[in-house]
Amino acid sequence: MSLVKILEIALKTGRVTRRYPAEEPLLTPEFRGSIEVDPAKCWGCGACVKVCPPNALTLTPSGKGLVLEYFVGRCVFCGMCAEVCPAKAITVTKKFELASTNLRDLRSRVVHEVLRCSVCGAPIAAEAEVRAVVKASPISEEYAILCPKCRKERFSRSVGLRMGAPGGGSS
Amino acid sequence: MLPVAGLAKALRAIRRSIWVYHLNSGSCNACDIEVLDALTPYFDVERFGVKLVGSPRHADVIIFTGPVTRESLPKVVRALKAMPRPRLLLVLGSCGVGGGIWWDTYATTGGFSKLEEILKEHGVEVDRVVYVPGCPVRPEAIIYGMLVLLGLAEQKVREVELPAPGG
Amino acid sequence: MTDPVFKVVEELKGLGGVVEEIKDREVYLAVGRDKLKSLAKALYSAGAYLKTCAGIDERQVQGVFSIYHIFGLDELGVDVVLRVPVAEEDAWVPTIVPEVPAADWCELEARDMVGIEITGRPVKRLVLPEDWPEEVHPLRKDFDYSTRPPREFRSEVAEEVGVPLGPYHPALHEPEYFELYVDGEKVVDVAYRGFHVHRGIEKLAESPRFTYKQVPFLAERICGICGFVHSSCYVMAVEKAARIEVPERAEFIRSIVLEVERLHSHLLWLGVAAHLLGYDVGFMHAWRIREHTMVLAEYLTGSRKTYGINIIGGVRKDLNVDKLDKTLKTLAIVREGFVKLAEVMLSVPQIRFRASGTGILSRSEARALSVVGPVARASGLYRDVRKDYPYFAYREASFKVPLYTEGDNLARLLVRVEEILESIEIIRQLIDRLPGGPIAVESWDVPPYRRTVAAIEAPRGEDVHFLITGVGKPYRWRVRAPTYQNIPALRAMLRGAPLADAPLTIASIDPCFSCTDRVVVYDMRAGSRRVLRISGGVPPCPL
Repeated sequence: MSLVKILEIALKTGRVTRRYPAEEPLLTPEFRGSIEVDPAKCWGCGACVKVCPPNALTLTPSGKGLVLEYFVGRCVFCGMCAEVCPAKAITVTKKFELASTNLRDLRSRVVHEVLRCSVCGAPIAAEAEVRAVVKASPISEEYAILCPKCRKERFSRSVGLRMGAPGGGSS
Repeated sequence: MLPVAGLAKALRAIRRSIWVYHLNSGSCNACDIEVLDALTPYFDVERFGVKLVGSPRHADVIIFTGPVTRESLPKVVRALKAMPRPRLLLVLGSCGVGGGIWWDTYATTGGFSKLEEILKEHGVEVDRVVYVPGCPVRPEAIIYGMLVLLGLAEQKVREVELPAPGG
Repeated sequence: MTDPVFKVVEELKGLGGVVEEIKDREVYLAVGRDKLKSLAKALYSAGAYLKTCAGIDERQVQGVFSIYHIFGLDELGVDVVLRVPVAEEDAWVPTIVPEVPAADWCELEARDMVGIEITGRPVKRLVLPEDWPEEVHPLRKDFDYSTRPPREFRSEVAEEVGVPLGPYHPALHEPEYFELYVDGEKVVDVAYRGFHVHRGIEKLAESPRFTYKQVPFLAERICGICGFVHSSCYVMAVEKAARIEVPERAEFIRSIVLEVERLHSHLLWLGVAAHLLGYDVGFMHAWRIREHTMVLAEYLTGSRKTYGINIIGGVRKDLNVDKLDKTLKTLAIVREGFVKLAEVMLSVPQIRFRASGTGILSRSEARALSVVGPVARASGLYRDVRKDYPYFAYREASFKVPLYTEGDNLARLLVRVEEILESIEIIRQLIDRLPGGPIAVESWDVPPYRRTVAAIEAPRGEDVHFLITGVGKPYRWRVRAPTYQNIPALRAMLRGAPLADAPLTIASIDPCFSCTDRVVVYDMRAGSRRVLRISGGVPPCPL
């Protein structure tokens, strides 16, 4: 009796199998796959690195410059990085065919030139970030190319000059 | 490592009949139920000749999930040791591939890649591994990973390094 | 505070409890360890259930260790928390297991994780790995979350006569398993070995790597089947502690997604139960129907599982008209398919005869162990967090909570079958009444050292999160998943019953690990040991 009923159900349902990869996968338009960082837009600011729960995104200084690395192997596909990126440089794609025979192929990097202080040569931040900040805020370019220490010195010197301190108020 | 000819031959031999053992090293279960889901009507991996077996001794391929918790580590090593050569592994998910969101806690080991050194110490050689990122890994991605493992599909991802344009 | 609650609190004060804090639906009392047992007994007699207990290193805040026993007066919808502070040099508390049997596991866990000794009962290591050093307690604040003491590889060798299989035989699909002690075909005792999925999540949330903002993503991965319950319970706890007013629309969205999760989980269980009973047809059809809920979840949230839409103060994704429309269409398909399938499945002899009258859990045993979810409701305990401590939008939906009294496997099955239908109804009502407005607060702020208890009805039962806020991240986050509360009940269900009923009984609590496919059976009479295979290929559970 129940055998007949179940056969009825099966016959009525028919084949539901999506014969992937020959047929399309069962994707919806909302699916979050791997991310892509646009090197032309990325500031190298590290906001994505800060928010990434599994630390799949890292920002590390190296010989080449400041490197933003995305290790899709540990990514949890939450899309928070795309949400917090101030430059809108991160897109969440629909890619899920990410299988690899080795771990190296699961890494992608954007290499940033680091801006160095025009006075003391200490590294400040990625050039792209400094450029973006100067564009977006009233900070003058002359201050933007100084490291925080030199910036403080220059600022207190200029305050000292205005207040008529002897010797220009140098620290 | 098996000589390449031996591995290629083995891969050809199991091409249409893949016996899979599912080994969970402490995962949250999301990847594991997607593995099971792959057997159900919408994905039906049996059309590839895949079937689940009850012992690693009968396995052609081990599907590996979990970050390798401290407690499961010795058991995982023993289970892998019991697998006959060639040892073909499909490592799934953020946990298996990279140790997961908890990759550096006191109770985990860091995923399968960290396990490889320990396996060498115990004389357990792995002949081919394919890593499948995901959290969880969707059934189609598992199928794709299996096809890459068997050499039936091309790997799509490549290491990429791009400079941020200056000036 | 209402009159009945006032009465309970006065009684507890009379027995030596000191009121520390009274919130809207939570009362905190400090009690000396000499008075603990009598207060626990009084609460239990007043009808309270034990939600859980938590060991906490409060040295940074109060200079002591504490154990918090969290009770719930379900009928009044109020939580009563007993806090027992102890000095570091003299860290011990008496057991309350004789008065409240449900406290068994959580006491041992507090002992493992903070090092508070429990006197008056046999103790053993419960949660930490076997090779973990004795005097190292991970939840102490001076333990760094990523410290990994050197490992010890122990080789397990079976000593019993008969089949030479060790407890960790490579054939064991997953190391979580039960040891059944049998006499002939009857089970006389049960031992459970678990916690192979201990990942250090509670400690991780306290670590420098995490802030309040990121913990929902961590919480969601506690369990891959009911993850959204955990992330919702966490954000609920933070929002309660910080008095963040979540927009109504967000609460509705959370409730809808929670019910979608319940659907996928119950259908999953139904399929697995069928598979265990040898009815693979049922497994395939149940999961075929379930697939609709997975695709729906992806369309609503962006991911089939680990939805990732909970944030503190609301949700990240809205439900537009298309999504609501798709939801209703999917529900119609699921309902139609499910009703037909349930009709067949409940008439099949494998299920009807094997599930009826087996694995009985009496009401008194269920009460003593404070079991939760369908297990409780099948044994005559009318417990459902959605009704007892209403949260999110559940007050806006009218739904039935199925209650059975037989306490057997069939009762637990029927509870879930009915719940599937009720969930569909709830989602329909919530969509109908979905208010407009924002889906998250603009900004939020969490003051440190506030305490709350939050609970959500997961598919498996009550999930409890106890939270003490810290600076920028939790100070202490205790998670008690429902299966943790239900597994101890298995002993009562399996004892004295035929061995053949064991697999279904274990599965009937929906242990989120699909009843470990291996069971080790010790035959006391024959002096032998064998490993039985229950099912193939079903994975274990994170607690």
